[in-house]
Amino acid sequence: MNHVYSLNRKKHEPLVENEAMLDVASAEGVIDHGIGVGANFAELFIERSLTNTISTLSQQVQSVESGIDFGIGVRLVFGTKVLYGYTNKTESEELKRIINELAALDLRDPTASKIAFNFSKPDEAHPATLRLSGDAEVDSKVAYLLAADTAARATSNLISQTRGGCRQKEQHIEIFNSEGLHTQDVRNYIRATLTAIAADGQEQATGMWSDGGLLGWEMREQVDPKRTGDEAARQALVNLGAKACPSGRMPVVIGNGFGGVIFHEACGHLLETTSVAKKASVFHDKMGEMIANEAVSAVDDGTMNNEWGSINIDDEGMATQHTQLIKDGKLTSFLVDRLGAEQTGFERTGSGRRESYKYAPASRMRNTFIEPGTASFDDMIGSIDRGIYAAQMGGGSVQPGTGEFNFAVTEGYYVEKGKVQYPVKAATLISTGPAVLKEISMVGQDFSLACGMCGSISGAVPTSVGQATLKVDDILVGGQG
Amino acid sequence: MSLTDQAGQILEHVRAQGAEGDLIVDQGEALSLKAKEGALEEHKVTSSQVFGLRVIKNQRVGTAYSEASDPESLKALVDQALMNASYAAVEPFETILPNKFSLTTDDQILSPEDSASVADKIALALDIESSLAGKPHVKNVPYNGVQDMQGERRVFSTAGLTARSKARSVACYAYALIESGEQNAMEGLGQVARRFDQLDPTKLVDATYQNTLDMLEGSSIPSGKYDIVFDEEMLPSLFSVFALMFSGKSAKDGVNPLRDKLGEQIADEQLTLVDRPDHLEGFGYALFDGEGSPTAARPLIEQGVFSSMIHNSMTAAALGTVSTGHATRGPKSTLGVGLHQIEIVAGEHTAASLLAGEYFLITDLTGLHSGANPVSGEFSFGASGYLCRDGARVRPVRGVTVAGNFYELLKRIAGIGDTQYWNWEKPALLPTVRFYDLAVSG
Repeated sequence: MNHVYSLNRKKHEPLVENEAMLDVASAEGVIDHGIGVGANFAELFIERSLTNTISTLSQQVQSVESGIDFGIGVRLVFGTKVLYGYTNKTESEELKRIINELAALDLRDPTASKIAFNFSKPDEAHPATLRLSGDAEVDSKVAYLLAADTAARATSNLISQTRGGCRQKEQHIEIFNSEGLHTQDVRNYIRATLTAIAADGQEQATGMWSDGGLLGWEMREQVDPKRTGDEAARQALVNLGAKACPSGRMPVVIGNGFGGVIFHEACGHLLETTSVAKKASVFHDKMGEMIANEAVSAVDDGTMNNEWGSINIDDEGMATQHTQLIKDGKLTSFLVDRLGAEQTGFERTGSGRRESYKYAPASRMRNTFIEPGTASFDDMIGSIDRGIYAAQMGGGSVQPGTGEFNFAVTEGYYVEKGKVQYPVKAATLISTGPAVLKEISMVGQDFSLACGMCGSISGAVPTSVGQATLKVDDILVGGQG
Repeated sequence: MSLTDQAGQILEHVRAQGAEGDLIVDQGEALSLKAKEGALEEHKVTSSQVFGLRVIKNQRVGTAYSEASDPESLKALVDQALMNASYAAVEPFETILPNKFSLTTDDQILSPEDSASVADKIALALDIESSLAGKPHVKNVPYNGVQDMQGERRVFSTAGLTARSKARSVACYAYALIESGEQNAMEGLGQVARRFDQLDPTKLVDATYQNTLDMLEGSSIPSGKYDIVFDEEMLPSLFSVFALMFSGKSAKDGVNPLRDKLGEQIADEQLTLVDRPDHLEGFGYALFDGEGSPTAARPLIEQGVFSSMIHNSMTAAALGTVSTGHATRGPKSTLGVGLHQIEIVAGEHTAASLLAGEYFLITDLTGLHSGANPVSGEFSFGASGYLCRDGARVRPVRGVTVAGNFYELLKRIAGIGDTQYWNWEKPALLPTVRFYDLAVSG
C-alpha cells in the first residue's frame, strides 16, 4: 500500500513562516489588559503542535495515532507572585476573562508600561527537512521499525517479542510579552525506539535502543535499523543470563551517553533556579565554590545543532546559550529563567522551558553533560578491585532539598581485580549530589549524548544527557547479592 | 453549536466514510495555588477541552485527537483517524460495542456542590505554608499547594452509546525541608477529598512535620536480608509498578510474564486481592468503563491463586473470555486496560502479632519509574523508613536500597494485618503486609 500522508493544513496551522497564531492586535489588547490590572509583566504563549506516533508489535503495525495540541498560556507577574492560566480558545475576550479571574484579588493601578512589540525571529540553528506538516512518512517509518524488529529477531531464537515506536512532533510557538517581545519558533522532534524481550523458560529480560533529535525524519539517513535491532537484542540477551548484582558501597565505572543521567540527577536539577531561589537546593549558596572533583567540568548547552535538548529560543523568547555550569570542579553558573533571575540576581541563561502552553516556564536543563577527560577505559576498570561497570543506564530522580538521588543500571557487569567478569542484573545506584560529585575521579574520552525526557515542575521536556565513560570511586549499589 | 451536536456531526462523518467509531470529549477546569514565605507564589486557573476519536474500518483501528474545536479541525480529526486506520494491521477483535445505553454518574456523589470560595482556598494555601514554616528547625516549605479540579467526560458512539461522567477533587499537599547542623531532611504528604471542608490541614501539617523531623537523624543500616513492611503509601505504589501482571492486553501482546499462570498458585495463600470499583469512598470508584461496559468487583488473586486478569472487549475476545469492565481510553490514548482501585482483603493478624520482632518499615521508595522491570519482576529502589521492633520505631533509616523480584516477593508474605487503610490518593485499600527475606543494601 502506497500512502501519501499529510496532516491537513487548516486555519490554525502556522505553516507559513511569520504567520501569527494570534493576531497582533488581539495580543496587544490582552497584554494591555494584563498591564492595566496592575501586573509588572504580562506574557502570552501560544502553541500549536502536531504529533504522530507509530507503534509496531511483532512485525505488525499496532497503531498509528495523530493529534493537534493547541492552546494559549497567559502569565502575569505581580511582584514575586506568578498568575498563570490557559485556554484552548483564541478569542481575546476569553483571554481577558482569564486575566480578570487570575488578578481578581490583586487588582491595582498600573505599575508598568507596555512596550510596543518588536517582531524578531531566531535564526534556525536546527534545520529540519522532512517535517511532520509536510508528510508523516508513515511507510518509511514503518519500514525502519520492521527492519529493526527483523534484525533483533535474527540475533537469537531467544528474542521472543519486540516493540517499536516512532514519534514525531512539530511544535509551533509564538510569544508576546509586555517588554515588547514578539517572536515565533518551530521545533521538530523525532525519536525512534525498539524494545526487545528475550525469554528462556520462565525467565524474561528486556533491552532497548533509542535515537532522537531536534530534526525531521531525515534522521533516517543517520540511523541504522540493524544497529538498533542488534543493540536492543544484545542488551536483552545479556540481561537474560545475568547473575545477581552485588550490593554495598563500591567503585562504579559508568558508560558514556545515557550514563550522563548521573550528572543530570546528582547536580543538574540542583542548579536550576527553580530550586535555588527557594533555597531548596543544597548548592543554593555555593556559587564560586568547589562542589566537585577537579576532574569534573560540566555544561548545559542549548545550541548544539539538531540535538534532542537543543532550542533556538527558550519558552520565554530568549536566545539559548552554552552555559558552563562547573569548571574544574568549581560552580560557575546556575540555570536561570526570567523569574529565577529576579529572585536570585543571576543573569538569565535562556533556560526557561515548559512542556506546553499548560505550564508556566521554569528553569530547566537542555543538553547537559560532563565534558570529556583523558582517562582510558582500561585504566578505569584496571583501578577497581571489586566493583561494577554500568554500561547502560535507565532513568533516575532526585530530591533537590537534600540532594538524594537514584538512577538505574540497565546493563551492568561485575568487575574484580581490574577485569570485567560477568553480567549482573539491574540495580539502582543511590547517593547525594554533593557526595558523588567529589567521587568522580576519572573521566574518559569517548563522549556521546543520549536523549530522554525530563519531568519536573513545568512538565516533561526533551533533554539530552551525556558524558564520556567515567569512574565514581564510591557509591551505594542496590543489588540482591 | 452544542457539544452533542458537534459529536453528532463527527460521528455522522465517520458513518459516511463507511466506518464506525466512538468519540471522547474531555473538559476540565482547575485551580492551583502555591505559597512561599507567607505570600501566594503561584495562582493558576485553567480550562481545557479535547476531542479524541477512534474509528474502525475494514477491521483496522485508527485514532486522532484535537484540542482545536473549530469545524474544520473536527472534520480533519475524522480524516486523520481514518488515514491512521489504513496503516494499522487487521485487528478482528477490536469493535465498537453495540451499546445503546445512556449512562451518567451521580454528580451529588462525585461532583458535589462546594461553597468554598477562591479566597478560602488561598487562605488554606497560606495557612499550610506558614504553619509548617513556623515549626522548629523548618528551613522552608519548598513544595506546597491547594488544588481544585473538576472534569467532565462525554462519550458518544456510532452504535448509540452516550455516557457522561463528572468528577471533582480538592487536594492539598506540603513538603517540609528541615535542617539542623549538617543534617537535613525533606518529606511530604497530601490529602484529597470531594469537598473542600473535608480537608484536614492541621493533620497534614502535623504529620508532614513529624515525618520530616523523625527522618532528620536517619542513617544507613547494615546490608542484609530483612523483614519488610511497606507503609500504606508505598505498598500500593509497589503493586502499581507491577500492575502489568494483571493486564489482559499485555497477555495478548505476549509480554505479561504471568499470562500462562491463571489458576496457579502465584502468591502466598494469605493473599487475596480484588479490584473494587464499587468502593464509593475511593477515587477509583466507577460504574462503567471506557467502553461503557458495567464494572463490578473482580477477584484477581484468591488465596494466592491467580484467578483473573483484567480485560476490555478486545483483549477478552482475543483470549477467549469476556470483558471484565476494565477498558481504559482517553482522548489521546488507544483502547487499553487498567485497574480501578485495588483492595487486599484483611488478614487475621493483629498488629501485635504481625509486627513482632525486628522489621524495616519503608515509608519512601525512590526510582519507582526507573528501578523496576515489570516483565522480569526485578526491582531495585532507593528506600527510607524506620527500623522497628515489636511495632515501635527504633531508628530512622536513610540512604539504603531494597532489591528483589516482585513475583518472588508475592510468595514471601509472613502475614497480613486485620485492618485496612486507604492511601492518600485513595485508589487502594490495603492492610499491612509483612514480607520476609528481602535484600537491603546499606
